[in-house]
Amino acid sequence: MQLKINGKLREVSGAHGDMLLWALRDELGLTGTKFGCGVGLCGACTVIVDGVATRACITPLAGLQGKEIRTVEGLSDGATLHPVQQAFLEHQTPQCGWCMSGQIMTVVALLERNPVASEADIVAALSRNYCRCGCYVRIKSAALAAQQKMAAQRGEAAA
Amino acid sequence: MSEVVRAAAGSAPQAESREASAGERRWRVSRRGFLIGVGMAGAGLALGVTVGLPAARLKVAETFSEVSGFGGATNDPDAWFEVLPDNRVRLFLTKVEMGQGVHTALAQIAAEELGLAPEDLEVLQATTSQGVMDLAGTSGSFSVSSMFNPLREAAATLREMLRAEAARMLSQPTGALRQEGRAFFVQGDPSRRVTFGALAANRSNWQVPKEKPALKPAGEYRVIGRPHPRVDTRDKITGAAVYGYDVRVEGMLYGAVLRPPTLTATLKSVRTARAERVDGVRKVVVDLQNGFVGVVAVSRAAARAGIEALEAEWQSGKLWQQEEIDAAMTVGGPGGVTVQRVGDAPRELRAPTLTAEYRSPFAIQSPLEAQAALADVSADRAVIWASTQSPFVVRRFVAQAIGLKEAQVEVRATYLGGGFGRKAGWEVAVEAARLSKAAGAPVHVGWTRQEELQNGYVRPPTHHRLSASVRDGRIVALEHQQASGDVLFTFFPKVAADLVGADFGAYRGALLLYDIPNRHTIVWRRALPIKTGPWRGLGLLANTFAVESFMDELAHAAGVDPLEWRLRHLPDTLWGRRMRAVLEAAAELGRWGKPLPEGRARGIACSTDTDTVVAQVAEVSLEREAGRIRVHNVALAMDCGLVINPDGVRAQAEGGVMWGVGSALVEEMRIENGRVAARNFDAYPLLTIAEAPHVEVALLDTARDGKPRGVGEPPMGPTAAAIGNAFFALTGKRLRQIPFTPARVKAALSA
Repeated sequence: MQLKINGKLREVSGAHGDMLLWALRDELGLTGTKFGCGVGLCGACTVIVDGVATRACITPLAGLQGKEIRTVEGLSDGATLHPVQQAFLEHQTPQCGWCMSGQIMTVVALLERNPVASEADIVAALSRNYCRCGCYVRIKSAALAAQQKMAAQRGEAAA
Repeated sequence: MSEVVRAAAGSAPQAESREASAGERRWRVSRRGFLIGVGMAGAGLALGVTVGLPAARLKVAETFSEVSGFGGATNDPDAWFEVLPDNRVRLFLTKVEMGQGVHTALAQIAAEELGLAPEDLEVLQATTSQGVMDLAGTSGSFSVSSMFNPLREAAATLREMLRAEAARMLSQPTGALRQEGRAFFVQGDPSRRVTFGALAANRSNWQVPKEKPALKPAGEYRVIGRPHPRVDTRDKITGAAVYGYDVRVEGMLYGAVLRPPTLTATLKSVRTARAERVDGVRKVVVDLQNGFVGVVAVSRAAARAGIEALEAEWQSGKLWQQEEIDAAMTVGGPGGVTVQRVGDAPRELRAPTLTAEYRSPFAIQSPLEAQAALADVSADRAVIWASTQSPFVVRRFVAQAIGLKEAQVEVRATYLGGGFGRKAGWEVAVEAARLSKAAGAPVHVGWTRQEELQNGYVRPPTHHRLSASVRDGRIVALEHQQASGDVLFTFFPKVAADLVGADFGAYRGALLLYDIPNRHTIVWRRALPIKTGPWRGLGLLANTFAVESFMDELAHAAGVDPLEWRLRHLPDTLWGRRMRAVLEAAAELGRWGKPLPEGRARGIACSTDTDTVVAQVAEVSLEREAGRIRVHNVALAMDCGLVINPDGVRAQAEGGVMWGVGSALVEEMRIENGRVAARNFDAYPLLTIAEAPHVEVALLDTARDGKPRGVGEPPMGPTAAAIGNAFFALTGKRLRQIPFTPARVKAALSA
């Protein structure tokens, strides 16, 4: 089958199982999306499907045709980071980093859908994304800073 | 692992003698290493590329005795640095990056002596075949403190070798040269300059300095002590960082391993015919003698389907229940080992003022990246990519398992998606190596979450009984009785464990350091039906919870403010003064004694670990109906000596607090019907961002002796006690068992 991933059509056989996560990681080599629990509890595998933060480990390939799938690899063009990534960089957020793609994709999906999300909205959106290193203080402050960055960018675009 | 822990034990038997004179060892020209380096690296003149060197040199590089404390390292620049003709300078590190920021801190230390900025260095993970043997691995919060001197000496030596060659090329005395980044120039004539890269082209001329180069005095530090962005952050937010679970090579297959249905089950027989017929399965490997059965397939899913299709017959052992373990995990009876005796506590405790008991449960390290390794085994060589804290231990066990010499096995540590003690093991690498050897292809093994929760080693439960006699507002006698499962003894040969007597990992943080004339700590080692082992901080969290909760109980019983009570019992020693400073700093930061919003209270606690002292003030509230404690804020003050990267240390402190809160409120593993009850995070939840407190950090350096100390584990010491003490301040009820679950909170409230 063909899936649209990070703006490109990719041929996916499903040889690595029914779930999106293993097609991304083991078939396409997009290992930025992480495996944590396999049952949708920890958030490490979070990607964005048609604008919605989605757990790739419990998302069947069947039904994804025609949908826009975005992974952490598609967030930046290599030179310029996405504002959420930039904020996570400036706040020196990751420790081990394993959960970070999932945290970042969750924040991206939230702020694209709700540009004026409150701190409580941010905490609620991230409340099922584990960070075992305990970077929660910085994840929260980075997400709030990302919101400001995206607001500033919209302001510039509008001006 | 055994060498590692024996080296750490002051009272432990001497580890096998290595390089007794290493303290005096000087840098030597390794012409052979250089020539081999040229051959191996082509255009790059490889300082430090010691691939293919004879084992004898590897042995020479093994210099544990030259560094005080834990682990050890060579100060040979050949082992650490590579200067390339294109002016790049590479730094190869044996310590692995598992989130603690060690690659950045070590790069800062090296850059300082090289006169460079950290970003001038390309930081790379050394493999086990690069000349430096580091049996200590990455654990125990000792990486920076043990590497600090050797790395500075190596960098200074390299700097002087480069300067001498620059002087020769520019026909100037060395004193006439100035350094600017990766170049030297003639003072007063910046146009006459030579880059490190150009110097690398003349590597064969380089001279070893006749005298040990002077190290920079602390007053001249420009890199050490300043916050520096981590070298790994960008790769970790773009998905580019490669971890053990992410490694991919051409032609790789996937492996899965049969697990016993219970902790004590043993495999009697297995029929493989059905598994062999599963689509995609390439090989079924059965080694009954070692209890190993694995499947190799074209995908993880097929490998697991193969495992499911195996027909295994098990000899089921005893079906342990948690209640039986709780009953056995008690202090008292024969076998107690006295690990601290000051004065005569038993005499003074015949009629103690107060006695209290505390408990901590099993807990699982749960790195978010489960165990993972890729092995590529051929007839006379193996390469292992692994998410491991102990590359050299992995090398040894892989070599043994597949019948190669250690020198034929190269372990390439990747980034670790969390370690926390759990990746000090070697199981997954050995599994991948066995399967790769059998399949004749590279094989990746990545554990499921169920395997990670059920098939590792876990933090042992503990039981504590503390007794004290108080007279005239002072503690005159204090005794800590503690029972625990093994922590580091798990990795000891039995004879070594018997010689050492008590597991110093289990009693880490258990000793009583307050100024009390009679102090006694006695520990019991309890056998458990499940393998227990290192968990971040080892015994630190449980022991500090018990000791610091009890100190709080004593303070309240005496009617003394808990901060004042602690200060009153500090000796006038360097340690006492350092602890006083962090207690006072945490109290100020945490607004100790200041007014609080309605329904909130504060608790204070402190701990000492790896010569780092930490104090914390926790501010909590309570949802009484739900029995839910909410931790709003933790103010932490820490004196870890010389700080290399303040922002990195703060990050470790913030994370350590979260571990403390998680253990205080959430984490508890249970055994049911002979196995770990939890199969996934629904039954073993971790702390979430919604429960995470705000954290404030103050860093102090009271001793000012220029020595860095541990920061990876010490910050988590006091948190659980500080929360329990705050709960008491709020409710007048004492919580003596972590985690403080709603059930336990409600029970305490109605007591």
